[in-house]
Amino acid sequence: MTELTLPLRGLIARPLRTLLTVLGIALAVAGFVALTGLTAGVQHSFASGIDENGADLVVSQRSAFNLVSSTVPTSLGPALSGVPNVEAVSGVLLNITTADDAANIVMAGWPSGSFLWKDIHLLAGRIPASGDQWSVILGESIASALDKRVGDTVELQFQPYTVVGIASFSSILNQNSAIVPLEGLQQLLSREDVFTLFEVRLKRPLDKNDIAVARTRLVTAAPGFEVGDTEQFASSIRVFDLLQAIARTISLVVMVMACVAIANTLLMAVNERTFEIGVLAALGWSPRRILRLILIEGVIMSAAGGVIGIILGALTMEMAAKTKFAAGLIVPYLSGWSIAQALIFVFIAGPLGALYPAWRATRLLPADALRRI
Amino acid sequence: MAARSPRLSSISGKAGYDFSLVLMPPLVELSNVGRDFDGGRIVAVDDVSLAIGNDETVAIVGRSGSGKSTILNLICGLDRPTRGEVRFEGRAVNGRAAWAAVRASKIGIVFQNFSLLQSLSARENIEVALLGNLGGARQRRVRALELLAHFGLAERATLRPAELSGGERQRLAIARALANRPKLLVADEPTGSLDVQTSQSVMSIIGNVHREFGTAVIVVTHDEDVAALCGRRVEISDGRIRSDSGMAAMSTPAPASRIR
Repeated sequence: MTELTLPLRGLIARPLRTLLTVLGIALAVAGFVALTGLTAGVQHSFASGIDENGADLVVSQRSAFNLVSSTVPTSLGPALSGVPNVEAVSGVLLNITTADDAANIVMAGWPSGSFLWKDIHLLAGRIPASGDQWSVILGESIASALDKRVGDTVELQFQPYTVVGIASFSSILNQNSAIVPLEGLQQLLSREDVFTLFEVRLKRPLDKNDIAVARTRLVTAAPGFEVGDTEQFASSIRVFDLLQAIARTISLVVMVMACVAIANTLLMAVNERTFEIGVLAALGWSPRRILRLILIEGVIMSAAGGVIGIILGALTMEMAAKTKFAAGLIVPYLSGWSIAQALIFVFIAGPLGALYPAWRATRLLPADALRRI
Repeated sequence: MAARSPRLSSISGKAGYDFSLVLMPPLVELSNVGRDFDGGRIVAVDDVSLAIGNDETVAIVGRSGSGKSTILNLICGLDRPTRGEVRFEGRAVNGRAAWAAVRASKIGIVFQNFSLLQSLSARENIEVALLGNLGGARQRRVRALELLAHFGLAERATLRPAELSGGERQRLAIARALANRPKLLVADEPTGSLDVQTSQSVMSIIGNVHREFGTAVIVVTHDEDVAALCGRRVEISDGRIRSDSGMAAMSTPAPASRIR
């Protein structure tokens, strides 16, 4: 018999209540993992999507609220192109819309002749011809989801586009994107003189120092704009901060509820086991040891709930990411930090929820406790 | 009623000093102890003074509601006196933690209703008393099995209390009370839930405990036959000591062998 035997037996003796409490904690943890993971996933997917296009640095509006609201004047292009060690610069206009009113999709408007077209891996069809502004290349996943082939028509931003190519990408965002000629998209969005961002490709060979130097020069060439790598660009988008804040607030509320559930369960357990606690006190168990007994029960429940919650959260993210309107925009992203935060929570919530019931147990006078059979 | 005077004993000091005559305090001593309930409307115990020595067997007798169990609770620190002081081995004990430490190492308690933990096996019921007092799990297991064997329960080690007979449960409760080799064994109506034959067997075991381990014994009972087996008889009525045979036997302690 060890210190864990009694708490475990206590929990096993009331299986339904233990199970429901563990489930409550698991749902709280799952909520936290899924909400923060999905938020981080959106951010991560945008960064990897832009990264895949071959850009080394991104020039965007400083602290733009969301991805598509960033505004960079087209006139900035020549200044950026003139920066030493810059191989090519391409403006990009981004928009989030629905495709055939069936799925959310990111539209990326690329200028004809941009270096971005060169690296595209076409599975079928061709790249849009110059002046062919209502043609589109669909990512493989969205084409499959919409059951589109080369020659079909797809409605984007209330405009019928002809599918001229299907391309394969490594990032899920791009796999679910529609790449269209810039001019048509600018016209559709009435944003003729602006881009969402500039993607900058530097000359090869390249090391970290070259990127840092180029970045400094680009900042000088584009004063007042954000210059960074793709991850920095994604993290500078304010809406992600807002999403994170919402996710954390909801998670906090749910987790406080989990704490209350633990406290409630253990309070009931302490009330039901008053006699047992009295016996332990009569046997010479110190108040500290009795406190530890109840705390251990809380920790066992929250640890079990934590592990189940992390698994549930990961599954929830996968399911959410596969829904029709989230596919491609939301990519599940279960980071080590997210798991660590969930575990930190459970190892705080468990003892915290158990603290009051445990304290109550130690305040019992053994003679009073023993009278309650 | 006045407390008994400390008995004079002759001992030798560890560091070579020779204490020819040293005052040896009683094992447990109640001084003008009172216990009220319900804000003082119920006086369960009033002005009780009682001293019990290391080698005594004491029966606390009285009718139901006389206050004898409350006195027992006060002796073990299970209850808190409203007035007066309880001393164990000459030291006043105050607070839950201090009393827990005394009970853990020096007092074994046997309850009328056995008070065994139903979720644990017979062996674990003994081990639970050893947690914190005896090193590793293996040592606790060995000690528990020794005690079970001593009380004829070796074959019942893995059974839960519900699977044991009344006599077996009481033997298990006694084994548990002795797990930490206490100086004082207290038993609250130890035969109250048992038939005559089993009661005699249990009292015989308690008597053996006193002889074999030199453990002082306090038995709370309303059964005169059980009380007669003890060396000293303290009668309680209306929360007060009405008589104490030990007062007469102060200079010549009653022989423990009266317990059979």
